[in-house]
Amino acid sequence: MLSVRRSAGAFVAVAIGVALVTAATLLLASGRPQVPDRLARAAVVVQSPEAGRADSFAPTRPWSAARATELAGRLAGLPGVAAAIPDRTFYAQPLVDGRPPASDGQREDAHQGHGWSSARLGGLRLTAGEPPRRPGEVVVDRALGLRPGTPVTLLTAAGPEPYTVTGLLDAPGVHVADDVAATLAPGVRAIGLMLAAGADPERVGAEARGVVGGDGRVLTGDRRGALEPRGDARTRWIGMQVLTATAALAGFVTVFVAASTFAFTVAQRRRELGLLRAVGATPRQIRRMVHREALTVGGAAGLAGLLVGAALTPALGRVLVDVGLEPATFRVRYVLWPLAASLAVGPVVALLAGWSAARRAARIPPLEALREAAVEQRPIGRLRVAAGALLLATGAALSLGTATSDDARDGATYALYAVMALVTGSTVLAPAIVGPAVRLLRSPVRRRGGAIGLLVRAGALTATRRTASTAAPVLLTVAFAVLVSGMVLTTTAAYTAGRADNVNAGWIIAPDRAPGLSDRAVAATGGTALLPTTVFVTEPEPSTGIRPLNALGVDPAGFAEANRVLDVVAGSLDDLRGDDTVALTASAAPAPGLPPEPYPVVFADGERVPLRVVAVVTDISVPGDLLLPRAVVRAYDPSALTSTVYVRDRVDPPLGARIIDVPAWAAEADRAEDRLVWLCTLLLIGVSAGYGAIAVANTLLLAAAGRAADLRLIRLAGATRRQVLWLVTAESALVVLIGAVLGGAVAFAGLLSIRAGLAEQVGATVDLVVPWPVIGAVVGLCLLLAVLASVLPTWRLLRHRPARSAVGIVAG
Amino acid sequence: MTTDTVTLTGLRAVYGTGTRRVTALDGVTTSFASGTFTAVMGPSGSGKSTLLHCAAGLDRPAEGTVTIDGTSLNDLGEDALTRLRRDRIGFVFQAFNLVSTLTAAQNVELPLRLAGRRPPARDVEAALDAVGLADRARHRPSELSGGEQQRVAVARALITRPVVVFADEPTGALDSAASRQVLRLLRGLVDDHGQTVVMVTHDPAAAAYADRVLLLADGRLADELTGGITAAVVAARIAERDTDPTGISRPAADAAVEPSC
Ligand SMILES: Nc1ncnc2c1ncn2[C@@H]1O[C@H](COP(=O)(O)OP(=O)(O)O)[C@@H](O)[C@H]1O
Ligand SMILES: [Mg+2]
Repeated sequence: MLSVRRSAGAFVAVAIGVALVTAATLLLASGRPQVPDRLARAAVVVQSPEAGRADSFAPTRPWSAARATELAGRLAGLPGVAAAIPDRTFYAQPLVDGRPPASDGQREDAHQGHGWSSARLGGLRLTAGEPPRRPGEVVVDRALGLRPGTPVTLLTAAGPEPYTVTGLLDAPGVHVADDVAATLAPGVRAIGLMLAAGADPERVGAEARGVVGGDGRVLTGDRRGALEPRGDARTRWIGMQVLTATAALAGFVTVFVAASTFAFTVAQRRRELGLLRAVGATPRQIRRMVHREALTVGGAAGLAGLLVGAALTPALGRVLVDVGLEPATFRVRYVLWPLAASLAVGPVVALLAGWSAARRAARIPPLEALREAAVEQRPIGRLRVAAGALLLATGAALSLGTATSDDARDGATYALYAVMALVTGSTVLAPAIVGPAVRLLRSPVRRRGGAIGLLVRAGALTATRRTASTAAPVLLTVAFAVLVSGMVLTTTAAYTAGRADNVNAGWIIAPDRAPGLSDRAVAATGGTALLPTTVFVTEPEPSTGIRPLNALGVDPAGFAEANRVLDVVAGSLDDLRGDDTVALTASAAPAPGLPPEPYPVVFADGERVPLRVVAVVTDISVPGDLLLPRAVVRAYDPSALTSTVYVRDRVDPPLGARIIDVPAWAAEADRAEDRLVWLCTLLLIGVSAGYGAIAVANTLLLAAAGRAADLRLIRLAGATRRQVLWLVTAESALVVLIGAVLGGAVAFAGLLSIRAGLAEQVGATVDLVVPWPVIGAVVGLCLLLAVLASVLPTWRLLRHRPARSAVGIVAG
Repeated sequence: MTTDTVTLTGLRAVYGTGTRRVTALDGVTTSFASGTFTAVMGPSGSGKSTLLHCAAGLDRPAEGTVTIDGTSLNDLGEDALTRLRRDRIGFVFQAFNLVSTLTAAQNVELPLRLAGRRPPARDVEAALDAVGLADRARHRPSELSGGEQQRVAVARALITRPVVVFADEPTGALDSAASRQVLRLLRGLVDDHGQTVVMVTHDPAAAAYADRVLLLADGRLADELTGGITAAVVAARIAERDTDPTGISRPAADAAVEPSC
C-alpha cells in the first residue's frame, strides 16, 4: 500500500527534522566545560564560594589574602598534597609596538596576569630565560616574539608600566613575581593542589572538603571544568539555549508538516480506503495500515536523517565556534545517547503525525468507494469558525496586554502568545478567508488574465480547502519570520534609543583592543568615568546565599550631570564621599528608605567592609546595582578597569582607547549580545521557513497528482502546453501571495502592539524596524518551491498525449 | 437447494432531513435463494443501489432486517459486520473495483490477506485463469481495460467463495463483448459453484442471464419475473409498466440511457 511519491513530503520533513535533532543533541552533549590548560596539572582545585544563580555567570566570591594563605597552609598539610598554590588573576596586557596586539580582543586569557607559582598548576616550563623574581620582571608568551632581557610595557589597571622580560612560556598571558601578583590581585578565587606521586585525588578531595567546609568548593576530575573562564561558560550557555530551541522547533514543525502530509494522503485516498473497507478491512486494520506506513516512513527517514545529521555535526560545531555560540575550546564528541535518542525521534514523530490521519482513515465508510466525485466540497464547520474566532479574540486581548505591559519580559511573552493565537486562529479560519481574498483579486485578474485568469480564480475558489491548506504554511512561516525578526530589531532599536537618551554627554571614550581603560588613560581625558566592579552581599535569612552586585565607582557630581534619568528617592548623592559610603538602587536596598544600619559588602580583594548608605536611587537611574566613590572601588579592587568615560568635547583618545559619539556607543553597548540574538533569530526563522516551504511544496505536489484529470480536460479543450504551465504557475503564486499577505497582516498587528509596549517602557517614541530582506527571502523561498512543485509534475504530465490516462483510478 | 441465502424484511431507507428528505426504500421484503441469479431493475432513482448496499451491509437501513446465511446484520457491530462481509460477501461495482497500487493478483487475494490468510499462489492463478486473465496477474489496474478490471473483480469473488455476490451495474461501463464475458462469469459462479448472485442492471439483455428479475419503483417492489426470462420478455414487461397508469410515469428509454448514480 505504501507509495513512495505520496509519502515523499513526510519523508523529507522527518529526515530533516531528525538531522537537525541529531546535530543539536550531539552538539549539546559535546558542550561540556573544559578544564583550563592553565590548571590542568592540579588534580584537586579548591574554588572560592559560588555567588548568584548558575546562569548569572558572576565571578565567585574571593577569599581575602589572609584567608587564602591560611587555607593554603592547612591544605598543604594534608596527606598526599605536595603543594597548595593560591592562583591569582589580574589584568595585565603587554603592548607590542606601543599598542595592544590586535588578536587580544577575543581571548580572555591573553590579557590576564598571574603569579609565577601558578605556572606549576599548568605544568608550564620556561622555553627560555629565568622566572620573574623582583618587581618589574615578567615572563611572557613566546608568541609575542620578545626575547629575554628586552623591555616591555605592560598595560595594567593603573596605566602603562615598564617591565623587563626575563623568560618565555608557551602559554597565553603574563606571569610576574608572586609578591607583585599579590598586590595587583589580593583576593584569591582558586587554590590548586599538586599531589604527591600515587595520591588518590578523590581521597585528597574528601579531606580538603573537611578543611574548607562551606567556604568554597573542592573540585576533582572533570568537575574542574567549573573553573573555565566565565565568558566561555556564558557563551556555552547561550549556545545551549539556541540548540535546544532549534531541536524543539524542528521536532514540533516536523510533526506539523508530516501530519499535514499524512492527512492529505488519506484525504486523497478516500475512495481506495473505502474499497478496502468494502472488501473486508476492519477500521482497526485501516488504522494499523496508516500507522505502519507512518512508522516505515519515520523509520527510514529517521535513519537517513541520523546519518546526515551525524555527518554534518563537526562542520556545524566549527560554525558555532566561529559565530561565537560556543567557546573556542569546543570539540564535537560522538556520545551514544544523542544518537539513540535521535534514532527514536523519527518513528515517534511519524506516529504522532499519523495519529489523527489514521483515525480519520479508519472512520471512512465502505460506501466511500462508490462516491462519484473525487473531492467533496465541505463547507467550513461551525465549530471551526467558533474555534478560529475564539483564537483571534484571545490574540487580540494578548496584543492589548503587550501594548500596556511595562515589564520587558512580560511584554515579549505576551507578544509571542498573542502571535501564536493569531496565527493559529487565521490558519483555522483560512478556508473562510480565502474566498473573499480571491474575490478581492478578481477584477485585475479578470481583465488581464483572460481564460487563464478565469481558471485560476475558479480553481482557487472551488477548492477553497486545498487553497487554504497550501496557504496555511506560508501564512505561518511569514507571520513567524516577520514577527520574530521585527520584534528583535525593534526591541534592539528601542533599547539603543533609550540608552542614548539617558546620557547627557557629547562624546564617549571606550576601550580599544582592551577589556577596559586604565586610571592614567581616564586622567588624561578629564571626563566622568564609570569604574565597575563586582561586590558580594550575603542574602538575608532564610536563603543566606551570596548575591553578586554590580557596583559602579563614580564621581557623584559628574555622574549626576551626565545622567538624565537619575532619580534620588532618599538621602543625597552629595554625601557619596569618604571611604565607607554607598548609594543603593531601590531593589538592592534591604528596606524602603535609608537603612540606618551599616551595609556590609565583600570586595574583590576578599575583605568584608561595612558601608554607610547615604542615598537610595530608582533602579533605572544607574546601569548597575549600587554606586560607590571611585576611590573606594580602586582601594579594594586594584585591577578594576574603567568601562566608560563621558566627555563634553571631542578629545584625543589615550592609549588603548577610542572616542565615539553617544548614538554609536549606545548601539554597540550590547552589540555582541545583539549579534548573538540576531543569529539565533535567523537560525530559527531559517528552520521554520525551510519547513514552511517544504509543506507548501508537498501540498502542491500531492495536489498536482489529483489535478491531472482536470488539466488533461483543459488541454483537450484547446489550451496549449504553455498556457497550462502558466495556469499552474499563476495558481501557486496566488496561493503563496494570499498566505504571505495574511501572515504579514497578523504579524504587523503583533508588531504594532509590541511597539506600543516598548514605547511605554523606554519612555521614548519607538520606530518600527521591518526586516524587509528577511521577509523577501522567506516569501521568495516559498514562492520558488511552490512554483517548482506545481510546474515540474505538470510539465512531466504534459509530455504525454492529452488523451492518454496517466492515473489508474479512472476506469476506461 | 431451497434455503434462502439473503432475506430482507420490511427494509426502509431514508436520506436527508426535512424538506430534502428522500425515502429511497419504502418497505421492501424479499429473499434470494441460494444458488440463484437475481437481476434488480427499475428506473434511475428507484432505490436499486440502496437496496444492494443495505443487503450487503455497506449501509444500514432505517428500518427492517437483513439476514445473510442465517446471520442478522442488525445485531452486528462494525467489526463483526466487516468480517462477515469479508468472509461471505463479494462485490463487483460498475467501476473502481480495484486498489490502484496493487497488481491484479494482489487485488484478488486482498480479502483473504485482510482475513489474515495467505492463499496459495496456484489458487490465485486458478481464479485469474477462470476469468481468462492468467497472463495479466502482475499488471496494475491502470494497465488493464475496464472489462479486464471487472473480470479481476469477479476473480476476487471467486477466490473467497462468498455465499453471495452483489454486483451494481457491473456492465454499465463496458461494451457488449466485455459485458457478455462478465455476465457469463457471474452466471458461472451460480452454475458451477452454487453461489448466489444479486445484480443491478438497466440492460434487459443483461437481465436475461438471471433466473429471476425484480422490478423496483419508488423504493417499492413493483413486479417480479421468474422463469423463461429473455431480453425481449424483460423489455416488454418494462414497457408495459410504463404505459400502466398505476406504474411509475417515466419513459423506459430515459431510464435505459440515464447513467447510474
Ligand atoms: N447519499 C445519498 N444522499 C441523499 N440521497 C440519496 C443518497 N443516495 C441515494 N439517494 C437518493 O435515494 C434515492 C434512491 O437512490 P439509488 O438507490 O441510488 O437509486 P438507483 O440506484 O435505483 O438509481 C434517489 O432518489 C437518490 O437521489
Ligand atoms: Mg444506482
